[in-house]
Amino acid sequence: MSQSVLSEIIGQPTGKSVVTVERGHLATFAGAVKDASPVYRDPRAATEAGLAGIPAPPTYPFVMENFGVFPELQPSDAPTGNAMVSVLGPLMAKGGLILHGEQEFTYHRPIFAGDVLEGEGKVVDAYQKESKGKTMTFVVVETVWTDQATGDPVCTSRMNIIHRI
Amino acid sequence: MAPGTLYVEDVAEGDEAPVRSHVLTRTDLVAYAGASGDYNPMHHDEVIATASGQPSVFGHGMFSMGLLGSALTDYVGVGNVRRFQVRFAKQTWPSEKLETKIVVTGTRNEAGEHLVDLDVRLHNADGEEKVVGQATAVLASRS
Repeated sequence: MSQSVLSEIIGQPTGKSVVTVERGHLATFAGAVKDASPVYRDPRAATEAGLAGIPAPPTYPFVMENFGVFPELQPSDAPTGNAMVSVLGPLMAKGGLILHGEQEFTYHRPIFAGDVLEGEGKVVDAYQKESKGKTMTFVVVETVWTDQATGDPVCTSRMNIIHRI
Repeated sequence: MAPGTLYVEDVAEGDEAPVRSHVLTRTDLVAYAGASGDYNPMHHDEVIATASGQPSVFGHGMFSMGLLGSALTDYVGVGNVRRFQVRFAKQTWPSEKLETKIVVTGTRNEAGEHLVDLDVRLHNADGEEKVVGQATAVLASRS
């Protein structure tokens, strides 16, 4: 895959989705990351901690699309192609390994149970490097989450995926 | 600001957050697979993982970041994190003792808020670094 092909996908969308944030799932997820804090389980504890609701653990935005995406909530103008899949698909067909290289979250406010959030992703960087006889392809995807009700920014997630062959 | 949160007056460069320590089990990986929706078999299916040349199943990178995130919010308070970034350096393995190390690298004022910058890491008992990154959180003030 040439550098020009990779350059072409920079700025391309990776999808648009609307997610609902559910209390039961937040408690389950907190348990899975070994966090026993009552703020994830008891609204009284959350209020006592000065929070406006049951909050999400910091890494929750990475997984919320796997659960809260229900069909009737989805935008009709959601792009059908996914630039990341169109680059990684052909690479993976040749074998090799997909690695999660880096992850970054920027938070504008906490995420709470009951939120309905709209996410829009795009490829923000794509490049290739040769290292120790291996070809490494890097794709960086940024997803911006906003509160559907207010349009205010909530969280930005930046994921760096590496294909190594 | 939540009770039990961190006050700018009490924070200095070099301060360390309480360490969180956890011995990774295969059950943790199954629980994280279910809670995250990441069913990559390398994290829960020993047969597939070993057939692919891995010594065993291994941990999700995002489990490591999640464990580190729990130590981070224990220290700065849930809802106060502004930025959390990591690089996944090494795989984690069942039976490894994973420990967090969170160190204050500085405090600053920005747009009328007190912020703390932190170096955040997760390592095993031999000191091998699994996850290395940085975080920023907002601090309360007594004044």
